[in-house]
Amino acid sequence: MQYTTDIRIVRLMCTGRVDPTILAEAFVNGADGVMVVGCHFGDCHYITGNVQGKIKVGLAARVLDYVGLNPKRVSFDQCSSAEGERFVRLITEFDNGIRELGPLGSHDRLPMPELREKLLVAKTALGKEKLRWVVGKFTEFATKGNKYGERFTEHEMWRTLDTIVMDEVATYQIMHELEGSPGAARDIAARLNLPPPHVLRYVLALQRRGLVELDGVEGNSPRYRLAEVKAA
Amino acid sequence: MSGKRVVIFGGDPAGVAAALAQAKAGMEVILVESSPSLGAERLPQTRIVTNGGSPYLESDWDAVKRHPNIRVITNADVIKTTSVDGTYRFHIRRRTPRVDPEKCNACNACIRVCPIHMYDDFNEGIGFRTAIDFFNPKTGVYNIFKEDMPICQATCPANLDIRSYVGLIADGNYAASLAKIRERLPFALSIGRVCPHPCETACNRGYVDEPISICTLKRFVADWEMHHAVDPPVDVPEKFSDEKVAVIGAGPAGLTCAYFLAKAGYQSVVYEAMPEPGGMFRFGIPEYRLPTPTLMREINWILAHGAELRCNVRVGKDVSFEDLRKEYAAIFVGVGAWTGMKLGIAGEDLQGVIDGVVFLRDANLGKKIDARGRVIVVGGGNVAMDAARVSWRAGFEEVHVFYRRTKKEMPASPWEIEAAEHERIKFQYLVAPVEVIGESGRMKALKCLRMQLGEPDASGRRRPVPIEGSEFVVEAETLIAAIGQSPDLKFVPEESGVKITRWSTFDVHTETYMTNVPGIFSAGDCQTGPDIAIRACAGGRKAAAAIVRYIEGNRRGSQVKGPE
Repeated sequence: MQYTTDIRIVRLMCTGRVDPTILAEAFVNGADGVMVVGCHFGDCHYITGNVQGKIKVGLAARVLDYVGLNPKRVSFDQCSSAEGERFVRLITEFDNGIRELGPLGSHDRLPMPELREKLLVAKTALGKEKLRWVVGKFTEFATKGNKYGERFTEHEMWRTLDTIVMDEVATYQIMHELEGSPGAARDIAARLNLPPPHVLRYVLALQRRGLVELDGVEGNSPRYRLAEVKAA
Repeated sequence: MSGKRVVIFGGDPAGVAAALAQAKAGMEVILVESSPSLGAERLPQTRIVTNGGSPYLESDWDAVKRHPNIRVITNADVIKTTSVDGTYRFHIRRRTPRVDPEKCNACNACIRVCPIHMYDDFNEGIGFRTAIDFFNPKTGVYNIFKEDMPICQATCPANLDIRSYVGLIADGNYAASLAKIRERLPFALSIGRVCPHPCETACNRGYVDEPISICTLKRFVADWEMHHAVDPPVDVPEKFSDEKVAVIGAGPAGLTCAYFLAKAGYQSVVYEAMPEPGGMFRFGIPEYRLPTPTLMREINWILAHGAELRCNVRVGKDVSFEDLRKEYAAIFVGVGAWTGMKLGIAGEDLQGVIDGVVFLRDANLGKKIDARGRVIVVGGGNVAMDAARVSWRAGFEEVHVFYRRTKKEMPASPWEIEAAEHERIKFQYLVAPVEVIGESGRMKALKCLRMQLGEPDASGRRRPVPIEGSEFVVEAETLIAAIGQSPDLKFVPEESGVKITRWSTFDVHTETYMTNVPGIFSAGDCQTGPDIAIRACAGGRKAAAAIVRYIEGNRRGSQVKGPE
């Protein structure tokens, strides 16, 4: 059994260990595709590890897709340790798919240097509490329900996650811009190519959360800077 | 108690000032505020008082907090007021405080990580607000803003969990979606076909493009089960209770009631006057809108839960109402509204003049319709549309619909009107019948009057006013009057003491659906007056829950509330 030598295997204890940031990190460091292969559902040594893994990879794929990566570059598959042939087939198919796409930035929505910037933002967003907590609650909300006993369907959970992804990416994009120097909402909007009212809304929300503060007023527009966040 | 007690609603500066003034005068003050904290939650900017100091509010929040005679109840609403002998009683409902104000030290950490962004009504949507938030910068009381049920669910008379079942369809989990619907409604197939879906009218997606097709989605899952010959699960307790319930009328309300009674472990006997079950579903709604085999599949499934059906038994004639009362632990009445309103014009008893519901019933029973010449349908509701479309199918040469207002005021569903127009049914608006002209006992023509719209009446629609001297005569062999129905409750004997309203409906408690006589429950058209099927089903379900409580309460010696 032969398979391509272009891959690099990273061994983990369980697909549940695949943190969403790991995937983003791989792309930031120049990987052209990431494939997660784990045990079949029901075969998990940790009972639900692979279910968690699928959700985490799914989330990472959505965030990366949202910032401009071709979703075909991320894959989640299942293959037991006894299914060597299946593994070879999966690897070969994925490898062929990536070869068709070419290197990072060629069949994606953004070309390379910009894409990397966005991937960095995605990595930050994936590493923050919001998305991680919602992902952690995913199975609980779908099976046991929330504190009010409301159960959500998978479809609804993903839809809610999608809106959170949009919010988070926009938020960390803005914070990424503000890291360098303070700026008015209009300038940030121009640099990020976003509608100014949209940016203002996120900036105000950040201010409310105590992450951004007023730096000064420039003509008619207020200038914002990052606030020093004290531990609660 | 020292002095009198005063209740003040609203904790805005005016309310706070009033509270302080009353407290100073020696009253015991209770201040009720609907937001989680006192203050400027919804105060217009122009009315904020500045007194040199804080630009926000100068009201003495602290004085209110400190005053021994002022009790502040925040996050609460007054839901009911009653007055007895010059004193008032208030029912105040306090919503759940979801953050413990004793423990919260306003560290902001929850806001920083809250994943849900919501519309910020405090700042009129300039920024976002998180689901957990302080609602007033001045007082900084934190709480979780939890939305009520979605608008579609709140609009649906049966409060179907639309959010979930549509989501489950999107997930491709059709069986789970149907199970979700059946938690509250046994008639997924039928309602999916006939419902005028008020939920879709309310759907928020309508503001973006068009509403989610909730009704058709329901029909889709129900059809999926039917077309794939999946047997719907019959899920009933292993053992039924000894008590039995009599259900009068095997229509939407009665069968829904029987279904939920069976699920709760109570068998029922359903009495039906007609030869077949289904009520308005079977005999009021034309075959082309709800095919009988489809309906029967659903009814047979409901009956399989443990309801015995006795057709061709008319209560009051074949079996007396009082006998039923003696024999059964409780009675549910869901007989519907089957008596057509009279037009109140001369010549109405001529041959050829027929009532809308009677016409539809005969058509559904397969009786031969004397379809000759021209037919005039008077009325603008869905019964009129059904009657017109059925008569077109029956082969009348020309079908006319006369309505005394305009198309805009027509209560029929717009898609039904459109379909009727496609079938080349002729509509004449602002026309009212005055007299049926006959010849040797048979109708020959209809004399009509043109109308114009005047002032709005009690229903909010503009009242039609006749135009003097505008009479005209239309030749027609048949006239179908479809101007409304009312229930026929003559089978309920007066000795039973059941109160009947002047609309010939039952007066019931809004939650338990029990009439003034304990043990007699009612829902559906005979309680609401003519209405949509889903409301009858909703009433049937709630009545079933109340019947269960009634029977169990009788065992324990407690009571269920009747109408007030």
